[in-house]
Formats: sequence, C-alpha cells, structure tokens
Amino acid sequence: MKHLKLFLAVVGLTLCFTAGAQSQDAMRLNEYLVINTDDFQDDFGQQNAWIELFNSSYGTVDIAGCFLSDDPDNLKKYAIPGGDVLTKIKPRQHVIFWADNQPYRGTFHVSFDLAGAKEIIFTKGDGKTIIDRIPVKHDLGENVSFGRAEDGIGSVDGSGEGWNVQPRTSPSTNNALIDKAAKPDRMKAIDPYGWILALTAMSVVFLALILLYFIFKAIGNANIKAGKKRSAAAAGTDVKASAYGETPGEVYAAIAMAMHLYQQDDEGHDEESFVVTLHHTDRTYSPWSSKIYTLRQTPSLNKRR
Amino acid sequence: MEHIIENLRQFWQFTGFANFEIGYLIMIIIGCLFIFLAIKFEWEPMLLVPIGFGILIGNIPLFAGLNVGVYEEGSVLNILYQGVQRGFYPPLIFLGIGAMTDFSALIANPKLLLIGAAAQFGIFGAYAISLALGFDAAQAGAIGIIGGADGPTAIFLSSRLAPTLMGAIAVSAYSYMALVPVIQPPIMRLLTTKKERLIHMKPPRPVSPTEKKLFPIIGFLLTAFIVPSGIPLLGMLFFGNLLKESGVTKRLANTASGPLVDIVTILIGVTVGASTQASQFLRWESVKIFIIGACSFVIATFAGVLFVKFFNLFLKEGNKINPLIGNSGVSAVPDAARVSNNVGLEYDPKNYLLMHAMGPNVAGVIGSAVAAGMLLGFLG
Repeated sequence: MKHLKLFLAVVGLTLCFTAGAQSQDAMRLNEYLVINTDDFQDDFGQQNAWIELFNSSYGTVDIAGCFLSDDPDNLKKYAIPGGDVLTKIKPRQHVIFWADNQPYRGTFHVSFDLAGAKEIIFTKGDGKTIIDRIPVKHDLGENVSFGRAEDGIGSVDGSGEGWNVQPRTSPSTNNALIDKAAKPDRMKAIDPYGWILALTAMSVVFLALILLYFIFKAIGNANIKAGKKRSAAAAGTDVKASAYGETPGEVYAAIAMAMHLYQQDDEGHDEESFVVTLHHTDRTYSPWSSKIYTLRQTPSLNKRR
Repeated sequence: MEHIIENLRQFWQFTGFANFEIGYLIMIIIGCLFIFLAIKFEWEPMLLVPIGFGILIGNIPLFAGLNVGVYEEGSVLNILYQGVQRGFYPPLIFLGIGAMTDFSALIANPKLLLIGAAAQFGIFGAYAISLALGFDAAQAGAIGIIGGADGPTAIFLSSRLAPTLMGAIAVSAYSYMALVPVIQPPIMRLLTTKKERLIHMKPPRPVSPTEKKLFPIIGFLLTAFIVPSGIPLLGMLFFGNLLKESGVTKRLANTASGPLVDIVTILIGVTVGASTQASQFLRWESVKIFIIGACSFVIATFAGVLFVKFFNLFLKEGNKINPLIGNSGVSAVPDAARVSNNVGLEYDPKNYLLMHAMGPNVAGVIGSAVAAGMLLGFLG
C-alpha cells in the first residue's frame, strides 16, 4: 500500500509537469481585422472578419478545448473543438479564426462576429483562466488590421501595449518581417574574438561542477559521519577514536605488491609463452555464439618478448 | 562482338581505376596509416581500425549514381551514416561510457571535478583560434569541441553546428586522442617542478553504494537543469551510470557497456571514416582543423596542469594535488589518466596516480558535455 501511494504520487507529479510542458499559456491573440471587403478569403470564398492567434513558444501547442469569446460575461462562447489535428499549432506559427458567426462551417469559424464586439478574449481549457484579451477597435476602416508590432510580444491584459494599426494585413504570417542575421553570425558580430563566449561558457561549466562539488562534499561528509557512528556503535567505542574512511595499510601493501609483481618481467605471466593461464569465460548460449557454428577462432594478438 | 566491347567499356567506366584521382590515393594512404598505428602501436585500436577502414571504404573512386557512396541518399552506407548525421550514435556511446565508468574517485574527492572544468579551456581556446582563422562562429564552435578530447561529443556537436566539417573534426579529435601519450607528457614536464611531480596524494576514501547511486541522479538533474541542450549526452551518460550502480539492472548495464557500445563504436567508426571522401576532406579547411585540434589539446593540458598548481596554493600541506593529474581533465578516458600515472611513475616508481587521475578524467567527460551544451545553446 505504501509503495502504491508513492507510485501514485510520482505519477501524479509527472502528469502535472507534463501537462504544463505544452502550455496553452503560450498562445497569443496576434492580429485581427474587423471590416474585410477586399482581404483574405475563407475556404468558402467569403471575406469576413478574422482573428489571428500565434504560438509564441518553441513547442507545439494544442488549443483544442480552449475558448474564444467577445463577451467577458461568457468566456465559453466558442469552444475550439477537439479531434482536429489542425488545432495543434506548431512552434512560432499562426492560426486564423473567421469571426463570421457560422461555427457549422468548421473548426476555425467562431460563433460570433466582430461587428458589435467590444473585445476578443482567449481563454484556457478550464473556461476561467483568461490567457489573452484585446479590445476591438471599430474605427480602423476597411481592410485595416490591428495587431502586435512584433509577433507574440506585448500585453495580455487588454491594455493594448505593443499593439498598433498594421501597415498591411498579415493573416497567418508574421506581423513584422524577421530580418535578423542567423544566430552564429550575430554571435560573431557581438564577440569577434570569442572571449565573451569563452568566459560565459567556462563560468557555466565551472558553476555546474562547483555545485556538484558542494553537493557531493556534503553527501560525503554526511556519509562519513554516519559510518563513524555505525562503526563506533558496532565496536562500542568512542566515535572520534574510530578511523572510518581510512583504508587499512595492509590493503595498500597488498595492492602495491600485486602491482609491483605485475610490473616485473619475470612475474608477468599473462602474455608469457608456454604458460597456461586459465580464465573463466561466462558465455550465454545462443545459436550465434555456439561453437558448432564457429568456423575458426577469432585471432588474438600475441606479443613475443 | 561490338556489343561485348561496349559492355566492357561501360564496365571500365564503373571501375575505381577509371574514376581515380590523386586525392583518393592520399586518403587511402591515410586510412592505411591509421590501421597501421592501431595495430602496431595499439593507439586507440577500437577507433582507429574502424575509422581507418572506413576511410578506405569511403575513398574507392566511384562512378556517381551507383547509389553506394556514403553521401548518396538511400544507399546502405548513407542509411548507417544517419546515426552520425542526426547525432544518435554519440548519445548511445555515452550510455555505454556511463555504464562502464566508475565515478568513485570523483565522489571520494569531489574537488577533482574542478580540474575537469579547467581543462575545458582547450575548447574555447580552439574556438577563439578558429574565429581568428576565418571560420564562422558555428564552425568555430564545432572545431573548438575537439579540445574536449571526446569523440562522441565532437561528432554530436559538429553534426549540429557544421555538418560539412564533421569528417575532419571527428578524425582530428580521434587522432589527437590517440596521440595523448605523445602530446601531453612534454607539457606536463615543462610546467611542473620535480618537487611537485613527487607529491603523494592521500588515498581516496571508500565510497558507499548509496553515494554511487545518488551521483548519476543528482549529477544529471543539476547539469541538465543548467544546460538543457546537453541532455542527450548528459542524460545517457548518467543513465548508463545508474544502470551500473543501481545493482538491480546488471543485464542492462552489461548490454550498454558491452554489445551496444561495441556495435555503435563499429558503426560510428566506419561511417565517420567513410565520410572522409577525398572531395570532402582534402581541403585547406581540414588542414586548419588539424592545426587547431593540436592547439586545443595543448591548451587543455596547459590549463589543467596550471589550474592544479593554482589550486594547490589554497590547499594545506598533505592535501595538495599532484599537478601531473591536471592533464587528465581532458576527457580522453582513460588514456589521459594513464599518461598521468606513467609520468608520475617515471619520477617515483611508488607514486601511482591512476586512481586520482581518473577523477578529473571522468569530470572532463561531464565538463565537455556541458561545454557542448553551451555551444549548442549559443550557436545552434
């Protein structure tokens, strides 16, 4: 029973951690268009208002079960259905929802439109935790969208920080063009001689090993103390008088003698001719290792002195 | 008759003789040299024999389109090479290394961990030199890892950062690992005084089984939390060690440290060797990589030995560390430790340093994996 409880606790903790690993918290409302007369068309060839979501994480996020709404009093207005592989949003990718109030048209058609909406709210699967919200601006004009200046960056509390009127609509793609050099090129530009990386990385290597040093120093000390207590208890002597942790001199004498003998030419029998050395060979039987199927022995290197 | 002659002419076009170029001959000579060094001097034979023969396999002049070359998609060699390209052989080798490594020396004397950290200067020294020689940052990172003296790590990192240089980097790393007994002793003698070489270190205390079991768990959690990009290598290294030390997974530990690591060593050796086709390998860049590789080993040895000397300034008499074990902070296990022992015995036949040197040696494995994770994080 005790083991079962422990097992369940471990499983529970693991599930908690894995549940959080692919977090829906990383999803962001990224851009929206209210009046669409000459912009992006849906699969039915219709132009409607749209809402763009962006996965700001570096892992795939499944948004099935999350909610979109235009009403703070009814966060569960549109539940994103499960069972659609398209709700798994790849890292740093976008997805468009059509605000056409025609949810029967598919997963990405929500049950409200933006004509009268005050704000757009994206809520977690629990139906209570608001992940992101943004007020809807109705003075944008036709085919003018409102979005984040840089994808995924800015407020999530509805203050609109980091949002602006977009110079052009960019459904399902980045709001701002990414014009950054590759990571190694940036690194070389910042650190042309390599000293910054060297110092940083060496600090981390030292940090990791110093931490290990402290931990194992502490564990070692605790172990020695415990050992001293045990040996003192067994011998019935004072703790301080016992010499736990020091190998008896006889052991070193025996090891040294063995190594000395091994180093002497006349005592090293292992590779000497005409001396039979018996080695115990432990071989699990298998047709692959059977002697019956072995045509010849594997040649071994014999050194002659 | 004409038909037969035409077929013979076609057959001739497919032969290695018809497609021969001098570069292939040079590479075949290099391959034979590797095999010779491995058999005659027993320099890293487990690696140099497969790599040497792999070089022979990869440098048979081929008629393009036969779908047998290592770079021809879908060929048998290409399929085996995926383990190198996609980087799944190195973690499997680390699993085996973990399952065969005894971390007792390190656990008994954890301050030796720091020597393993100091020797990683070789990596970043080589990185700086590579940048100065005109390599881009990703290539420089991949070349720098040669200084970690760890073949699987070098292959793993170069497959991510600079796949086109992987052959040269892997061959360079393994070559210099084989040459550790030649490169390191002169530097060790140069940097130490006779008095320092005669330092006798305290015998390590016995390590309890509980400590041995805790080491891989704590070691992994700590290093992986700090450098998550090193998880493939660190995870497998410590997992392998836990299999060994747990005492209840003997069969798994035996498989990881025996048949599995042998199989992967064969595959990685042959395919890395085969990837050194003359057209890919015989370039000015490869020469530069070999020069930088030599520098990285020299820097790592310098850093390790000097760090011990520096460290000794803070240690009491009787607790001092013999600086001859500083070289073993590079992770060429166990050759670097063996070098420490042999040089120590030259000056005092009773001073066996092998056990002490194994501490920084295995710490070097951890240190180079952490450093690789850092390079991957910054440049990947």
